[in-house]
Amino acid sequence: MLVLSLILVPIVAGLALLATRGENPAMSRTVGALVAAYTLVVGVAGHGSEWSYRWLSRPFVASFHVGDTAISYWLVLLLAICTFCAVLATNVPRTRQFVAQLLLLEGAMLGLFLARDLLLFALFWDLMLLPVFFVLLGWGEHVATAWRYFIYNFAGGLLLLLATAAFGVLFGSTDVIGRADVHIAGAWVPWIFWGFALAFLVKTPVWPLHTWMPLTYSDTPSPMVAVVSAVQSKGGLYGMIAIVMAFMPNEFKAYAGIFIVLGVISLLYGAFTALVQNDAKRVVAYSSLSHLGLIVVALASFNATALQGAVIYMVAHGLFSAALFLILGYVESREETRSLVRLGGLGTANPRLAGALCIAALAALGLPGLAGFVGELVILTGIFQAGLIWAAILALIPIVLASAYMLRLFQGIMNGPEVPDLPVRRDLSWREGLALVPLVLALVVLGVNPHPLTTFDPGAYNAVASTLQGGTR
Amino acid sequence: MNLNVTTADWYAVAPLAIVAGTGLLVLLADLFARTHVNRYAAIVLAALGIAVAMADCAAAYGHDYAAFGGAFIVGGFGVVFQEIVLIAALGSVVLYGAIGNPDRVGGAIALMLWSASGAMLMSGAGSLMTIFLGIELLSLALYCLCGLADRPTARESAFKYLILSSVASGFMLYGMALLFGASGSVALTDLTNPALATNPLLWIGAGLFLVGISFKLSLVPFHAWSPDVYEGAPLPVTAFMSVATKAGTLAIFARFIYAALPSGVAERLLLPVWIVAAISMIAGNVGMLAQHDLKRLLAYSGIAQVGYILAALAGGTALGMRYAIFYLAAYTFMNLGAFAVAALLSDDGEQGSRLANYRGLAQKSPLAAAMMTFFLLALAGLPPTAGFLGKILILSTSVTTGYAWLGFALIAGTAISLYAYAKVIRAMYERNEHAHTHEAHPFVPLAWASAIVCVVIVIALTFYPLTPSNVLPLVR
Repeated sequence: MLVLSLILVPIVAGLALLATRGENPAMSRTVGALVAAYTLVVGVAGHGSEWSYRWLSRPFVASFHVGDTAISYWLVLLLAICTFCAVLATNVPRTRQFVAQLLLLEGAMLGLFLARDLLLFALFWDLMLLPVFFVLLGWGEHVATAWRYFIYNFAGGLLLLLATAAFGVLFGSTDVIGRADVHIAGAWVPWIFWGFALAFLVKTPVWPLHTWMPLTYSDTPSPMVAVVSAVQSKGGLYGMIAIVMAFMPNEFKAYAGIFIVLGVISLLYGAFTALVQNDAKRVVAYSSLSHLGLIVVALASFNATALQGAVIYMVAHGLFSAALFLILGYVESREETRSLVRLGGLGTANPRLAGALCIAALAALGLPGLAGFVGELVILTGIFQAGLIWAAILALIPIVLASAYMLRLFQGIMNGPEVPDLPVRRDLSWREGLALVPLVLALVVLGVNPHPLTTFDPGAYNAVASTLQGGTR
Repeated sequence: MNLNVTTADWYAVAPLAIVAGTGLLVLLADLFARTHVNRYAAIVLAALGIAVAMADCAAAYGHDYAAFGGAFIVGGFGVVFQEIVLIAALGSVVLYGAIGNPDRVGGAIALMLWSASGAMLMSGAGSLMTIFLGIELLSLALYCLCGLADRPTARESAFKYLILSSVASGFMLYGMALLFGASGSVALTDLTNPALATNPLLWIGAGLFLVGISFKLSLVPFHAWSPDVYEGAPLPVTAFMSVATKAGTLAIFARFIYAALPSGVAERLLLPVWIVAAISMIAGNVGMLAQHDLKRLLAYSGIAQVGYILAALAGGTALGMRYAIFYLAAYTFMNLGAFAVAALLSDDGEQGSRLANYRGLAQKSPLAAAMMTFFLLALAGLPPTAGFLGKILILSTSVTTGYAWLGFALIAGTAISLYAYAKVIRAMYERNEHAHTHEAHPFVPLAWASAIVCVVIVIALTFYPLTPSNVLPLVR
């Protein structure tokens, strides 16, 4: 029941916030932060516990089966931390409704990571699109962005649904996530595989399915996009590991080349595009495309080291991209623009803000000592071990480029001439600062000691492990 | 033919008699009640009658019995469809609490009850005669109901429905005549005779019969009447039509294909129907995109939704039948809920049907906007609603029975439909200070209650998927 409350508490709190009247931003933020803190505490306390209730017996067995797996445990904690920080950083009109949407998003995504049943996974997959859609409608800059986000991701969700139904019929049960004894075979499997894989690739996203992403990331208010970029994108990657790799390893292996090529293209395309973007949020959006491309390559390389690196990097990317988006939100609220051409000179009057952006940017470009570096290093080692030398070499290019676009971002905002005609700007308030502390702290701690992230129990991913025992390709 | 009518036969049709009798009582009450209370007197009476009929009907669940020599069959299948019709009647009758000319509410409710008894007759019909009787009883009352508004579109609606529906009935009747010619009997039982499998009369007759059914179900290409008729009819009538007509006709269709065809005929005979269902899923959802009226939108949505239900029946399996019924029940509550919200917004007419009136609704009446959003998302098949689960169940059926292409059509149709539903949602959540939004009616208790009950049931059906067993249609 404890683990069930992890999903229900944010959703109930979000709905309750929506139902109340009156506007009291401090109150809404407090409620939101308390709920997020609760999910963090319970996420740790409820590690390993499960809750299950039979949903369907026919045409296949399905259950409301929730409980974390060794990998999703970290994503649950990441989500709780990011939501906590995003709620604290919220500074938008209609705060109460915005915080409510953040909590609904958290509840739906906790459901996604905790789901041990494919049908439940598909349910939360669709559910987690709605808060973002509503925020884009209510707070976004262009309505077209909301459409593009919704249509792309819902189309992916429908494929997921079809694949889930087919999987259920074929295997007789969808209560499978985290189970090691699941093998499906038959003429249908490639279709099921592509149903799942396309849904996950859209969500991650991977070139050429990414076109919803830069728009969504730049139009959504920063606290929401911090959560979306940090955690929602990991939903796709988590699905790749827990569903595609675990249950359809042979198909994944057969098509691994496609994934590696798409991942490498995303890596390069994202990095080069980030280099020339004018909108600060789009720089980070395209850098995400690049970083997540690296994780896709890591997964497709079928190597135990690369898989460990992928998990480290998923968490690290979540932390630094959340921090970057929150900081860009602070910048935007002070300068009223995101254009790198107009921005500048913020650093002199705002040393604390400059320091925060500096740490986040350094983590993003992979400075040793911060978590991003460990992830990149372990992934590259793994890819190299797997014999994908050309991919490892190509993957080095964007890592170099990351230094360039991150420094360009930092300099564009903090150095140079100031934006004219603006009132005196305050440095980080304690609340804004507090929203960054957990993220920076976690980046440093995991950068020095990433060990906890790598010790996930191979028993929970036996299918993955047995595939990996095949060793190098 | 010597027909021995027993007491049990009369008990079998008791729910119909109760509903029809309630119609008479409503008319009487309308005569004697004073003007300002007659609206509520009629609604309360009708609700009571429907409740009694529901209870009486439910008592027959599981007790298969062929009354009147097989002309009317009670048991699991008929009972489920009759309950759905009764729910539709109840959900539509309460909408008269919010709208409609008080002078005519009594008459309209009486007609609606008689129409419902026709749909109930269709649900249990076991012979060609009772099928036709049910359809005509349902339709005749609906022609009048459609015309019961002062707008010119209402008269157009009634006239269009009358003409086109009569043509379809003609097709159906001709088909029935040929079926009778083939088997020499009006009983559906006698159509299962294997000797008929090669009889051209059966093939032509069944084909014409199915054309009539497709028209009543408003499947593409026989759908053109439904948006016009839905648009012109008063809101409660549209709500009733969108569910009860489809439920009654689906009952006939399901009984015909499951239990009234010689073995081996069904697969080849019905292939065109499944193709038509797939086209309906796509075309119905595409048709939704251009609509500016909620009733027209839901008419097109209904075209597609019936396609989904047919996809569940395509395999001819027992599970498919259960899932079709589950989806029909879910559709019933989603549709009735959407119409209830529309009624909330229509204090003196049809404001709730114009989508322009939904612009910025979330600012004026957040709860109404939230509920409408919920129902539209449910129709689109998003979680956590019964529409989501229903689609999963239908998909799994179509994958199992080898009609995966119907599953693909369902997915494609759903993707298109989402855009249409989300367009309405977007309008509701648009923030426009100068929008001419109609003020939500402050307090229309019955419509609010109906909408809230529908929300609860649509969520509950997701988590407790009640798919009735023992619902295979029997002919003997």
